[in-house]
Amino acid sequence: MELLDRYLEAVRKHLPWKRQDDILAELRANLEAQLEDKESELGRLLSKDEAEAWLKQIGSPMQVAARYLPQQYLIGPMVFPMYWFVLRTVFLWATVIYGIVSVVLAVTTGNYDAEAIVGAVLRLPVVWMNAAAWVTLIFAGIEYGATHYPEKCPGIVSANMNWSPASLPPVTVHPPVGMKRPSYAKAVAEVVFGYLFLVWWLLVPKHPYLMFGPGAAYLLASPYQLAPIWMIFYWWIVVLNSLQLAWNCFDLWSVRWQRPLAGKEILFKGLGLIPMVQLATLHDHVYVLLKRPAIEGLSIATINDGIFKLASIVCAIIALQLVLEIGKFSLETHRNSIARAR
Amino acid sequence: MTIPENLFENLRLELRRGCLTLAVLAQLRQEHYGYTLRKALDEHGLAIDESTLYPLLRRLETQGLLASEWREEEKRNKRFYRLNSDGEQMLGQLLDEWNTLNAAVIATLNNPQQ
Repeated sequence: MELLDRYLEAVRKHLPWKRQDDILAELRANLEAQLEDKESELGRLLSKDEAEAWLKQIGSPMQVAARYLPQQYLIGPMVFPMYWFVLRTVFLWATVIYGIVSVVLAVTTGNYDAEAIVGAVLRLPVVWMNAAAWVTLIFAGIEYGATHYPEKCPGIVSANMNWSPASLPPVTVHPPVGMKRPSYAKAVAEVVFGYLFLVWWLLVPKHPYLMFGPGAAYLLASPYQLAPIWMIFYWWIVVLNSLQLAWNCFDLWSVRWQRPLAGKEILFKGLGLIPMVQLATLHDHVYVLLKRPAIEGLSIATINDGIFKLASIVCAIIALQLVLEIGKFSLETHRNSIARAR
Repeated sequence: MTIPENLFENLRLELRRGCLTLAVLAQLRQEHYGYTLRKALDEHGLAIDESTLYPLLRRLETQGLLASEWREEEKRNKRFYRLNSDGEQMLGQLLDEWNTLNAAVIATLNNPQQ
């Protein structure tokens, strides 16, 4: 049967070359016997459509050949927990080392404008992919060794057994009833959106339309320009968000997101208050300048006064939120200490 | 396939996987080649795909539980498999395990309160 010959040849292509003749001879014998049975039941040869349906039911050549391979997966359940742990650790350290190297390079070469920083941030996913590829490759090798030569690498099998119950971390006090428990989805979302926000924020100076839309063209043509205080404010936001992103990354990959540091919110709210205080306490309230001060009839005093009032209100709101957070934190600490005493 | 159907299919395959190995070992107390083994299992109500059974035979042979030989039958060369002594011992151990599990499941089903 020509179709069966073609099918077996297609299976051959995906079989390990050492055993392919033997496997194919056996597969052929079994399938031919099956075909004979089918044809004797029908009392005639199988039609083309029937033969196609029969072979289709057996499975695609690649699928059939794959079942004969000794290893069906890249990293098995024995090695996987260690692989996952190492992958998370490598991701964290790759990010930290890449960050340090980028900063050192930027400082030594003097190339630290917004474009260079955006470039460095955008290259981070490539660093992660490289790290993941290398870790996966190494662990695929370990899996292969453990599967094919178990007697030569007994350490891999026993690695998961060498642990002591005494080394388990202490039980943490659970959040009070009614309070939300931290979720993995939230921890991932914080990293993803933190990263996206940072990229967007870094792109704004070069591409103002990302913030102002079509209004960016009008701002460019207007007689006003921003005072230097906004540059300081801008870089404060970059530093704060980079810090928060690095912290969230660390929490995610070290599984600390399940037990986030209680004072984290307060710390970032407090740091976030600093640039707002700077804005609200600016000497002479100069937030906007005229590009050509000689132009008569234009007054910026009203605009600057409006921005000053707005900055003061936002500053007051953040300060109030900070006080509330500190109050909540103190209350929780008090409750936890009572719970521990029980 | 809906999510519950997919879940059922996965759990069904998981449940069948070990049972199939046991059934194949039990059936190979008599000599068979791939196709007749498949037919024999099918007659006992245990349908099994070609693409599952034939590689399983190879695997069990590599694990040292089966012996095989190529022999001509009805003008065609076929590979015949049979349980070897290690396989018989393993079958005995697995049957003990199977009987224990079976008894435990039945007991659980009959007395869910305990």
